[in-house]
Amino acid sequence: MEEVIKVENLTKDYGNGRGVFDLNFTVKKGETFGFVGTNGSGKTTTIRHIMGFLKPQKGNCSVLGKDSWKYSSEIKKDVEYVPGEIAFPDLPTGTEFLKSQAELLGLKNMDYANYLLERLQLDPSANLKRMSKGMKQKTAIVAAFMADKDILILDEPSTGLDPLMRLTFVDILKEEQKKGKTIFMSSQMFDELEETCDRVALIFEGRIVDIADVNALKNLPYKMFKVEFLEDAEYKKFKAGEFKVVRDQPQYSQVTVQVFNEDLKQFFSTLKNYKLKFISEVNYNLEKYFLEKLKEMQKEAKNV
Amino acid sequence: MFSKALFKQSAKANWMKWVCVTVATCVMLAIVIIVLGNLGINDIRDSLKNVFTQADQESSLKEESVDAYDSYFTIMGNYDELYGTLNTTVNVPPFINNQTVVSLMNSMVIEPYSTWEQNFIETNGREPTVDEEQEQIQSVANTFASFSEQVGMEEEALRTMIVGLLTYYSQDYTPPTDTAVDDYTVIDSYFAQQVYDQAYAQEIAKEDATVEYATTRAESASVMAEDIIVRYKADVASAGGTYVFNAENYITVATDYVNDTMYNSVYDMQIEEGATADDAKITAVSVKVISNTAISTYQLWLDEFAADNEASGAGEITAEQKESARSEAIKSISDQIPEKVGEALAELGNMDIYGLIIGSIFYRIAGLLLPMVFVIMTANGLLAGQVDSGSMAYVLSTPTKRRTVTVTQMTYLITSLLAMYLLLTVVSVISIWVVGGNSFAINYGEILLFNLGAFLTMFAFAGFCFMCSALFNRSKHSMSIGGGLTIFMLVCTILGLFGSNVVPSAMRIDAMNFFNYLSIISFFDTVSILDGGLSYLWKFAILLGIGIVTFIIGIFRFDKKDLPL
Repeated sequence: MEEVIKVENLTKDYGNGRGVFDLNFTVKKGETFGFVGTNGSGKTTTIRHIMGFLKPQKGNCSVLGKDSWKYSSEIKKDVEYVPGEIAFPDLPTGTEFLKSQAELLGLKNMDYANYLLERLQLDPSANLKRMSKGMKQKTAIVAAFMADKDILILDEPSTGLDPLMRLTFVDILKEEQKKGKTIFMSSQMFDELEETCDRVALIFEGRIVDIADVNALKNLPYKMFKVEFLEDAEYKKFKAGEFKVVRDQPQYSQVTVQVFNEDLKQFFSTLKNYKLKFISEVNYNLEKYFLEKLKEMQKEAKNV
Repeated sequence: MFSKALFKQSAKANWMKWVCVTVATCVMLAIVIIVLGNLGINDIRDSLKNVFTQADQESSLKEESVDAYDSYFTIMGNYDELYGTLNTTVNVPPFINNQTVVSLMNSMVIEPYSTWEQNFIETNGREPTVDEEQEQIQSVANTFASFSEQVGMEEEALRTMIVGLLTYYSQDYTPPTDTAVDDYTVIDSYFAQQVYDQAYAQEIAKEDATVEYATTRAESASVMAEDIIVRYKADVASAGGTYVFNAENYITVATDYVNDTMYNSVYDMQIEEGATADDAKITAVSVKVISNTAISTYQLWLDEFAADNEASGAGEITAEQKESARSEAIKSISDQIPEKVGEALAELGNMDIYGLIIGSIFYRIAGLLLPMVFVIMTANGLLAGQVDSGSMAYVLSTPTKRRTVTVTQMTYLITSLLAMYLLLTVVSVISIWVVGGNSFAINYGEILLFNLGAFLTMFAFAGFCFMCSALFNRSKHSMSIGGGLTIFMLVCTILGLFGSNVVPSAMRIDAMNFFNYLSIISFFDTVSILDGGLSYLWKFAILLGIGIVTFIIGIFRFDKKDLPL
């Protein structure tokens, strides 16, 4: 598959351990690539490099094979961008802003823009300065998406949106995905990323810790259950049984077990014979996955 | 390289500022020109100037009077001496009047010479040459002298006079047909000619003398001499044929003569210029009074010196004493004011207060302030402000090059300034027209140059602020360096004003001129424009250069820097 965005050995050292160091990843055509990390971990810096606003100290970024820094204005023909920090030009209303932006884009047909305005329930005739954070975010999204270009680069695009609007936004993203667009987005929202992304990269202190395949995470071959027994004897009996215990909490007579999908039936029939206080499935998701990774990283950092 | 959409965006973002600044500056300018124009701000200057012009006139009037008096006096003395020589050298008894002496001269000197000349022409068929004339003159003189020796006359002085007389005679003199009518003629004419020659020689010897002026002076001296001769003869006649020269008498005679001459010439001039008889008389009398004062003062000083000399036994009045008496006599009002005050007043009189207020105060200071605020804010908002807030991301996420952004924003900045100053130019020209057009203290050409200069100054500042805006990613840095330095220079120009030559020397603090070296506004040289010099041209070129260079640095730097968008 064609590589749309390619980041190779990208390094930008701002001193005091800030910046990005030796980043490597590629985003393939039609793929949605998420980017997650703590505050100040280098997400925005990476995006600015891809956009060609910053000059790499080492390595390079390219979009559709063109160097981001050298061909900064050319790659924009294919790139839509929602910046992380929303500040608009000094224009009176959202309508004026969208019109001006369309002129800069050379965009004549505003049908798609109007469609997006309707979807996001945004009235752009409001004064730009008095808009709420959510309205500003919606305006920025419309300004970027209306050109209907092939590559989307989004820096925390859903901040400020209310939960319902966030869902609408996810829907819009899915529509874009269906059109075959390549999306690169950073976010703090794991559920959002989980729902939309094919792959998600975790960045920590300027380095990519891991790139997770979301589909693989969603389709794990096992499930996990937390079980608490009413009687301690039964608890001990179960523990000695055939199922793999991943976590043991004797003070509550509690175990967490990992059950492969094919063993589920057997697991439940076994449990029939026990008196349980409760049973619940433990969801294993992206958030958990990355938190574990981060804890590992921090432990490693301490040991070193 | 240019984006229409971005230009429109900048225009929409900044038009309010532009309108406010332009209207306010135009109103200020119109008020400065029209209101001050009607207040007659230059009246003080004009009246001061009048005082000094009148003082100059008075001084030259007095000079003329004293000089005329002096030469009249000298000529009178000379004539008296000549007349006296004739009397004493011939040593005739007092009862023989001068007529006899002159007749003797004619029969023994002029006639023999005249006869010789006629004979010479008849014999040789040509005029005698100068050498031959000289020889004959000398021999006639010798003959007369040896005769006079026999009758006891002083030989040498007499021969000199006779040689002079005969020389004069051989050149110009036509013997009167009726000698009985005026036996003095030859002597008088000789004297008048001598006065003429002397005056001419004196004038032509002076620096920057012209033949024309020397001739006029010599002619008036010779007219004066003729007048003296008439008066002298009248006095001799009233004294019963003999007259003893008495300097005292001539003071009154000479004073009256000069005063009357001044009166008559001024009166005639006034009438010629179309004044009524009464007005002409008033002017003429006042001139006569001035003349009289000058002469009395002169004579008073001469008397003082004479008394001093007599007391110390120094003898005659020296040329230096005469000169100092003269300089005291010709003093005018302006000479009586203490020198420093006089200089300050004269400077104030020559100062163009209107040009100063419009040029040095309005165009260089007051009128720059608001456009400066506009330029500082706009230049910052066009680049650094948008980078700082992040709004530049929207422009740069479209296929717009950074170079396009900078060139478009620069174009907007320059265009808005140009439009502002075009409007100011129109307002200033109309205002000048309202208060009197080209006849006004500042003409159209000067006001156009003022506007051009102010525009170029703002162009330089715009370039500088634009460069700062392109260099820095933070508004506060761009503002504090670009705007700070700009305002600093304006303040320096205000402080430097007190040390510059537009402030009268009495109020000037020279040390303050140092501030002018800290400000590029000094390249906007309004004084040079008003003086009609050309040195403002190269200074304009420097302002233009500063603007161009800083704009270019800004544009190139912006292409290569990191943008936190």
